[in-house]
Amino acid sequence: MKHLWNCFCRELGLIKESPRYLILLTAGILFSYVFFLTFMHEGQPENLPIAVVDQDGSYLSRRLCHEIDATQGVDVVAVYNSHSEAREAMQRQEIFAFLEIPAGTYSEVLDFKTPHLALYSNNAYLLAGTLSYKTLSTIGKLTSAAVQREVMRKKGYSEDQIMGMIQPIEIDAHLISNPWGSYLPYVLTTMLPGIIGVMALLLTVYLVTNEYKLKTEKIWLSTAGDNMLNALIGKLLPYTCWFTLIGIIGNMVMFGFSHFVCLGSFFALSVALLLFVMAMQAMGVFLAGLIPDQHLAVSVAAIYGMLSFSMSGFSYPVVSMPPALQAISYVFPLRHYYLTYADVAMFGATFTQYWSHLCWLLCFMMAGCIGGLLLNRWAKSNSDDAAIEC
Amino acid sequence: MKNFWHNITSGLKDIYDVFTLELYRIFTDGGVMLIFFVGSLLYPLIFGAIYKHECIRNLPVAVVDDSQSAPSQRFIHELDATPEVNVNYNCNTLSEAETLMRQRKVNGIVYFPNDYSDRLAKGETARLCLFCDMSSFLYYRSVFTGASSVMLDEMKHIELERYAMAGVTGQDAETAITPVPYEDVKLFSPAGGFTSFLVPALLALVIHQTLFLGIGILSGTAREEGQTVAIVPERLRNRSVYRVVIGRSLAYLMIYIPLVAIDLVLLPRVFGLPHIGRLDDLCLFFLPFLLATIAFSMTVGSFVRQRDTGIIVCIFFSVVLLFLSGVVWPRSNMPLFWKYFSYLFPSTHGIQGFIRINSLGAHLKQVQFEYQMLWVQSGLYFLITCLLYRVKFFKYEDRAVCI
Repeated sequence: MKHLWNCFCRELGLIKESPRYLILLTAGILFSYVFFLTFMHEGQPENLPIAVVDQDGSYLSRRLCHEIDATQGVDVVAVYNSHSEAREAMQRQEIFAFLEIPAGTYSEVLDFKTPHLALYSNNAYLLAGTLSYKTLSTIGKLTSAAVQREVMRKKGYSEDQIMGMIQPIEIDAHLISNPWGSYLPYVLTTMLPGIIGVMALLLTVYLVTNEYKLKTEKIWLSTAGDNMLNALIGKLLPYTCWFTLIGIIGNMVMFGFSHFVCLGSFFALSVALLLFVMAMQAMGVFLAGLIPDQHLAVSVAAIYGMLSFSMSGFSYPVVSMPPALQAISYVFPLRHYYLTYADVAMFGATFTQYWSHLCWLLCFMMAGCIGGLLLNRWAKSNSDDAAIEC
Repeated sequence: MKNFWHNITSGLKDIYDVFTLELYRIFTDGGVMLIFFVGSLLYPLIFGAIYKHECIRNLPVAVVDDSQSAPSQRFIHELDATPEVNVNYNCNTLSEAETLMRQRKVNGIVYFPNDYSDRLAKGETARLCLFCDMSSFLYYRSVFTGASSVMLDEMKHIELERYAMAGVTGQDAETAITPVPYEDVKLFSPAGGFTSFLVPALLALVIHQTLFLGIGILSGTAREEGQTVAIVPERLRNRSVYRVVIGRSLAYLMIYIPLVAIDLVLLPRVFGLPHIGRLDDLCLFFLPFLLATIAFSMTVGSFVRQRDTGIIVCIFFSVVLLFLSGVVWPRSNMPLFWKYFSYLFPSTHGIQGFIRINSLGAHLKQVQFEYQMLWVQSGLYFLITCLLYRVKFFKYEDRAVCI
């Protein structure tokens, strides 16, 4: 215990000597919190630019334009005369969708014929395309309903009967734990802790390999009483505390200040965060033990860290990935953090439901131990080499 | 005149020297080789594998049918038949279904209240409840799309029945139900898939980031080892600094032209991503994209003191740059500050331009703004790099200089 404390104090001294790295990383993390929270503050994009191709130029088409413009989802930024103009505007990314009202629409409606509207949406931009399509198709349905209602009124139906005719079924959608359908909780709750984790991983690899690069591993080990476990825990503990603290404060901001829903216990989420940071550090030790060359180790850690975001499945579900990748997703701690978050915050799960994810995070400590053993061997072989040289 | 020719030939020779020296540095650095060649080719393949399936199919949902009637059962059968969802569980109570949801065995619940068929029989509006798992945007999208498409279909069915009761049938009833039908055309990615949307952006980002990281690492390494190794040949000291910058740029450009051809031209075709852009437009667009990225990386690289700082800065910016490019979050809805901030990075215009030419089939004229901005960035960052090197040469006149 005393050795561990010594090692801890030595690391604090090192930080005090050159705090550059820690400051850089902390600034980076703070920047990403500020960036993402302000960048998508709307939650769901509103007033997306769309256009109307009005070849009819009638009372009906103009009223349609106004009604579309009045919805919250989209904004009519231009009215074009031809399809090709609108398509070009879409390629210039001035609009995400357009509604084409062909000539003669109004007179056909009056004659009880069926004019066809056409709705074009840009699916190359998933979020904007989907949302503007959704608003426009609602307008399309409402147009039919409005005409239908007028006809039925003239025929003498009562309002209740009309409603039953126009809308026989209604879906009452309950969006669990994200009633606004906001984009922020999807992205930020996993990605921001993920960024902290990747920083912790890179820093661990860098710091551990640095001891070997600067040939100070002997001093490091002797401070820890020649025990690799003590040495590693003592060295990494300051960073574990620091990153977990930032992560918890970040979660406080998200679940408190930004009002994301957290149905379960915040404490459980904080424990998951602590275990996640530790798991990332353990993977860092493992990589450092596996690859003795500092430059290469940091590069490999960078590649592994970047893949965490895709493999965690918060944006693209893991069940839709090829089976081999589904299996590989288990070796990314962020995956388990995301699952814990979803269970705890979105479904208010109790310990009996989410304990398995925490166990998975603990399993990463094994990788850390293997890394420790390898590091021990490097230290021994280095000192043997030194002895031979002497 | 002779002097002029002499200047040109000596300039070309100096550029060539720096060019070969830079190539030597690249090919002798394992980390840089890993990033340039393995990273830029491996990442696209991994992304291609991860996002192989465009959409989520057959998402498990549970149904709770309190109405136990013919219309509700028909709805359930049709729901099961949609490509989006699969009805895996028939529960007796809502709490049973809720337990399944908590165990993450289903991603949605459809609940029919006991008055569902009564209301339909009475000609009123019947209501059904949908509970969506919101832990991923795509779960929500699939469950919601599946349920609404069945609802629209059912609505038409019921409306026809009701009109028939009122004595309106055949074409008349069809016209009465949808007096103004609309067709929807989903342009540029008919399946509406996640792959065709995200992977092209990631491919362009990989090019930007590997180049940025590689140059950052080279600059950092040179600085770290800088006390002893002279990077710039002695005789170039008092010559124009642009020769060094051009020489280095050409080395990166030569390495990246084939990589861009593989990543941004070949791979979209191999992965079956949208690729309706014209090749000549693409090639004309890649040139300023690469030049701007190289110049930008050299500018930032001049501030990188250590090799690993470069890596950390790059990793950290990868996620931010993806969002700044306006692919995920529409540019029209970005806060003004971040919009202008994004103009600092070549990736913003590079990704936008690439997607529009490649996936939307735009011509160079329609990406004019991006194209011009990339040339402006190339020029600006080139000048800044020259200036920074000049200052360094001046500062360390009597010492070896690392760039």
